[in-house]
Amino acid sequence: MKHETFARRLFFPALPVLVCACISWAGYFGSRHVETPGLASLMALVFGTTYFISIAFGPLYVYTIAYLRGASRMMRIVASGLVPFLWMTKEVITLTHAHPLIESLYWYVSPLHLWLIMLMGLEMGGATLIARKILKNRGEGERVISAAPLVTMALSLTMVIGAYGWGKGENFYVIFLEGYRFFFGSGL
Amino acid sequence: MKKDKTIFEKRVSRRSMLKLMGTGAAAAAGLTASGVLAKGSKNFLTRPNIIYILGDNHNADTMGCAGHPFIKTPGMDRLAREGVMFNKTFNTTSLCSPSRASILTGAYAHNHGVKNNHTPWTGEMKTFLEHLSGGGYATAFIGKWHMPGHGLPKMPFLDLFVSYTYREGQGSYFNCPMIVNGKEVPSRKPYITGEITDYAIEFMEKEVKKPRGEKKPFCIYLAHRPGHPPFQSPKEIKGMYDKEDTAQVLPKHADPAWYGKTKGNVFQGVMMGSYHNQYRKYCETITAMDRDIVRILDRVDELGLKENTMVIYMGDNGMQWGTHDCHGIREPYEESARLPLIVRAPWLTGKGGVTRDQISANIDIAPTLLDIARVPVPKSVDGKSLVPVLKSSKKELRDACLFEFWRYYPENTPTYTGVRTQRYKYIEFERGRKPWLFDLKQDPQEMHNIFNTPGGQKEIPRLRAVMKKLMAS
Repeated sequence: MKHETFARRLFFPALPVLVCACISWAGYFGSRHVETPGLASLMALVFGTTYFISIAFGPLYVYTIAYLRGASRMMRIVASGLVPFLWMTKEVITLTHAHPLIESLYWYVSPLHLWLIMLMGLEMGGATLIARKILKNRGEGERVISAAPLVTMALSLTMVIGAYGWGKGENFYVIFLEGYRFFFGSGL
Repeated sequence: MKKDKTIFEKRVSRRSMLKLMGTGAAAAAGLTASGVLAKGSKNFLTRPNIIYILGDNHNADTMGCAGHPFIKTPGMDRLAREGVMFNKTFNTTSLCSPSRASILTGAYAHNHGVKNNHTPWTGEMKTFLEHLSGGGYATAFIGKWHMPGHGLPKMPFLDLFVSYTYREGQGSYFNCPMIVNGKEVPSRKPYITGEITDYAIEFMEKEVKKPRGEKKPFCIYLAHRPGHPPFQSPKEIKGMYDKEDTAQVLPKHADPAWYGKTKGNVFQGVMMGSYHNQYRKYCETITAMDRDIVRILDRVDELGLKENTMVIYMGDNGMQWGTHDCHGIREPYEESARLPLIVRAPWLTGKGGVTRDQISANIDIAPTLLDIARVPVPKSVDGKSLVPVLKSSKKELRDACLFEFWRYYPENTPTYTGVRTQRYKYIEFERGRKPWLFDLKQDPQEMHNIFNTPGGQKEIPRLRAVMKKLMAS
């Protein structure tokens, strides 16, 4: 496995996903300004889908590519979390339109974001297996299956399904709000 | 215009009416407790019963009687046919808990103190139920309380208190654990509207069956969950609007496949599905609630109570479905600020089937109910009785209504204050946005903010003065 430069290992895998997310964001929200109803619907459908995939499933691609480029585990995690983190930050900034910065920062731990992080765990485990398989096929021999990615995947999957299954996420949200009141009261 | 005599005027002589009015006032003054006025005296019987039904996040146009193209709401339609439908009823604070507190106390949120869904209810200001109880009414609070604080409040004056604290007081559509007079009990019916309606009907039947000496007029506050996400309806209703064309109701740019709020995010779609389907499910929950409104109305008929029972249907909030790229209840647009309000009181409204265009508000409920119960209205009440307007379409009510909203985490609407007159809506935001001024006569869809126009600037001083006056009330 050849080792790439720092930038190529860390940022280059994330770049296509970031570009895809940005274009999708523009297309999705831009569709509302398109007057032709059929075209607007098509744009919303296509760009909404790619927007979601790039944020929610981008880490699967990024982690795999970073792994193949010889990035360390920490680098792989940082690279694959880059686009989701930027998206979360965008949401936090949006909140500052109505709320103080400190309260807006609390949004980083919103149920939706935690759910995304749990999903990332599942993807990283899967990406590890995929990357190992590719390397093995290339003859750069490594064993494909090991306990760590499988346990990570199992735990993440349980949490992803559990978080949604427990009252369709509503109970999680209630805990999040209780946390808000603990720190900030009513906010007024 | 010749005014029909009310059933109360027909039944009692002038002398006994004066005596009756005196009795009501005395009762409200607390003389009941001191034994001056015996509970169950004949005079109590001549005051009307009250059934106040509250929906949740109910867009005022989403009723058959409001001209909605497909929703089935026979109960609300019947109320409108037999009563008065208000076209301009507004929520003074567009959020669940403050609105509920305003309904119960008749006060603006800056006075009752429940400013957002995180601000606790203190109980310092009395509810209309407490005043009615003191005035000789049998009172029941049934359904959604949903005000912050530690569990449910202590309301010992109630004859029946049925509610829930599950999920921050939001409850659940199915098998919601109930708290009846302080004790947790399992649900008796799977779907929540059926469950709480059963309690209301049982309460009504119990009061009617009481011996004459113990009988009192009753007031039931029945607060439903439908209209609130996640939209779930019983199996016999689920899917009934699947084939309906929602494009005739929703804005043309509403998402075909993703729930994504325009000012929110596409991730909502993962859990909630398409915007059109969400709207269909929303309508289903309202129909589910309406089915139980029909049940209440039928039982009122069967018990022979129709002629002396005021039935009110209202929403705690409106609901914005994609208009102005917004979804929800908080923005001060008409869709979220305007409430459905229908009142049936045959002795006041005659045959019914009429509408009113006066500006009314959620704060008017408490004084209206106290007025018809002939219980003195306390000074803490900011609202006005709707009784004169119910009797006549020509009566004035108010020139303007105050809108006030305090930021509510994590929703992204800044704190605002505003005023709504018959012609204008003026809103000032605390941060992040320029003021809004809409000329609702020229621009009922609120598409053109005229704040920066010469015509708009001319109106601002007057509107600001009205707003300041209302804020100081």
